[in-house]
Amino acid sequence: MDVKAFLKKASEAPGVSGFEYVTVAPIIREFMAPLVDEVKTDALGNLIGLKRGEVGTRNPKVMLAGHMDEVGMMVTRIEDRGFLRFTDMGGVDPRILPGHEVVVHGKMPLRGIVGVKPPHVMARDEMSKTYKMEDLFIDVGIPGEKVRELVSVGDLVTYHRQFTELMGDLVAGKSFDDRAGVAVILVALEELRKYRYTADVYAVATTQEEAGLRGAAVSSYGIFPDVAIAIDVCQGDTPGVPEWRTQSLGKGPALCMGGNIHPKVYEGLTKAAADLGISVQQEVAPGPTGTDAWAMQVAREGVATGLISIPLRYMHTSVETLSVGDIEKAGKILARFIASVDAGFVEGLTKWI
Amino acid sequence: MTDEMFQLIKGATEAFGPSGSEEPIREFIKARVKDYVDEVKTDPLGNLICVRKGPAGGKKVLLDAHMDEIGLIVTHIDDKGFLRFSNVGGVNPYITLGERVYFANGTTGVVGIEKIDDPKEVKLEKLFIDIGAKDKAEAESKVRVGDMAAFQRHAERMGSRIASKAMDDRIGCVVVMETLRRVKSPRHTIYAVFAVQEEVGLRGARVAAFGIEPDVGIAVDVTRTGDTPKAITMDVSLGKGAAIKVKDSSLICHPGLRKYLEKLAAERNIPYQLEVLEAGGTDSGAIQMTKAGVPAVVVSVPCRYIHSPSEVVDENDVEACINLLVAAVESPLDF
Repeated sequence: MDVKAFLKKASEAPGVSGFEYVTVAPIIREFMAPLVDEVKTDALGNLIGLKRGEVGTRNPKVMLAGHMDEVGMMVTRIEDRGFLRFTDMGGVDPRILPGHEVVVHGKMPLRGIVGVKPPHVMARDEMSKTYKMEDLFIDVGIPGEKVRELVSVGDLVTYHRQFTELMGDLVAGKSFDDRAGVAVILVALEELRKYRYTADVYAVATTQEEAGLRGAAVSSYGIFPDVAIAIDVCQGDTPGVPEWRTQSLGKGPALCMGGNIHPKVYEGLTKAAADLGISVQQEVAPGPTGTDAWAMQVAREGVATGLISIPLRYMHTSVETLSVGDIEKAGKILARFIASVDAGFVEGLTKWI
Repeated sequence: MTDEMFQLIKGATEAFGPSGSEEPIREFIKARVKDYVDEVKTDPLGNLICVRKGPAGGKKVLLDAHMDEIGLIVTHIDDKGFLRFSNVGGVNPYITLGERVYFANGTTGVVGIEKIDDPKEVKLEKLFIDIGAKDKAEAESKVRVGDMAAFQRHAERMGSRIASKAMDDRIGCVVVMETLRRVKSPRHTIYAVFAVQEEVGLRGARVAAFGIEPDVGIAVDVTRTGDTPKAITMDVSLGKGAAIKVKDSSLICHPGLRKYLEKLAAERNIPYQLEVLEAGGTDSGAIQMTKAGVPAVVVSVPCRYIHSPSEVVDENDVEACINLLVAAVESPLDF
């Protein structure tokens, strides 16, 4: 599994929440299909791969969830001079947009830029203010009547950004949140070939996480797994952010603990890492994790959940940065953990007293 | 618009029914749709579910409109007979001040305010309802803590526009009722859900959809417009047709189903516009999340001054929504 090759292809593909099916889902399907026995999609567009375990009387069901959607924008109005007004889809900071190159996904992809008022023509008090979404506009270079032939309200906008390799094993690009999680799942599926295991593994590239964990909620209802692990990204070490709020890049994935996490799943993941001699970091979530694990935990009668996170800098920007090694390590830990899940482990998950 | 149609809208909007107290509007709708459906039932939350059977092989299509409206709920009755209240759903204190309200038993009240020094102090906790009682005992003979009140307004025609309270979402109820009446040969089994408690969190639609397990969900609700002075940036206008929703805060409409409706509208020459609503949710948000997921969309009636006692819609948009819904249930829905 060439993680870099996958990340480049997947991260450069557009896949805003709700519209994953157009481009990014087929790309992921191409990578996932050879690693699983079957692939299907559901009503919300979740891509669900099933890799069966060795034939047993009752195979545990393990669900892996990495969300394939990304944050982006949507056109709300086309002005007569051709400028596009837009809203955000899932948490774009308007302060990072001015000067950004974007792609408007109309009848054909149109290159656009987020224009700004130059300082020369700003009023004095405007200079000290930050941009709000409603101040911004996209310029695709053609007048209103021509734009209207190609673009309609509701069309999507994504960052235009190419995958970049930095020094060491760091890479930068858009939508690593959470195509990195999908990469972890693919690594895990490949690593599983080294093991004998009884669990049926449901590898899910979920949709609409950024819109409210929606894909994970319905797919976990449909699958009703015994164990569900979300693989997402967490805040990487960044200047100006306290150390206790971040995880270091390159020091291994973070294993989350807290109310959203079943203690035995956390223990199992920790043990798998220790068995492999892979260092991990600890992440603590006192409340909602804000990940697919939060939705999966309350599917049907309840699901034992875990969360593995890849440390990532500059979240929700087009220069999200992470360590490729952390993805590989996470995939190995996950495979080892899955191999340890048997009927006895599953039985133990509901034995609290 | 025929007078008959206007009278239906008038009756539906003027009927009482804040979230959780939907009985009068439920009775109103039931009486008018029972002849056009095969089965009428209610569920534990009070949803009115009307089934119109289609041919074998068809889909289960949930048509939803919420019948609840925003309102006020009495929290305390003081010694002098004034009622303190809280909001049921999104109630704006500036709009409520000076309003006339009524209770399910017909009791009328007016909304007054304590002495304030600054208009910014207009908050719901400063307001009270005066029902004309001279003391607590007289007030309690008419109204009890927990009783709900609705805005008291009549529907009025203003050219092609109609103003009334509770257009949100009685106009959606009218669209679904008319769809049931006008549809001649549905290709699918229609589950018309007149849902409760939308204004307090899409609660009725959630359980109704769980029970029905539909193949397709279509909610009809009102949406905001960008066509009034200094309005929000939004490309929806009154009179430009049915609004087919792309997204709101509760859902991203199923793209395949949404584009299918766009194509259907274009083929039938039904005027439509695309809607991106930046704030607010609809029942389809809950329907989409049912069990393992349901393809869901929203057909919206453009509406000005939502959550005020004078919500305004255009009759041509209402007709367009009905025509689109009838076309949808008579089409294969093979998106």
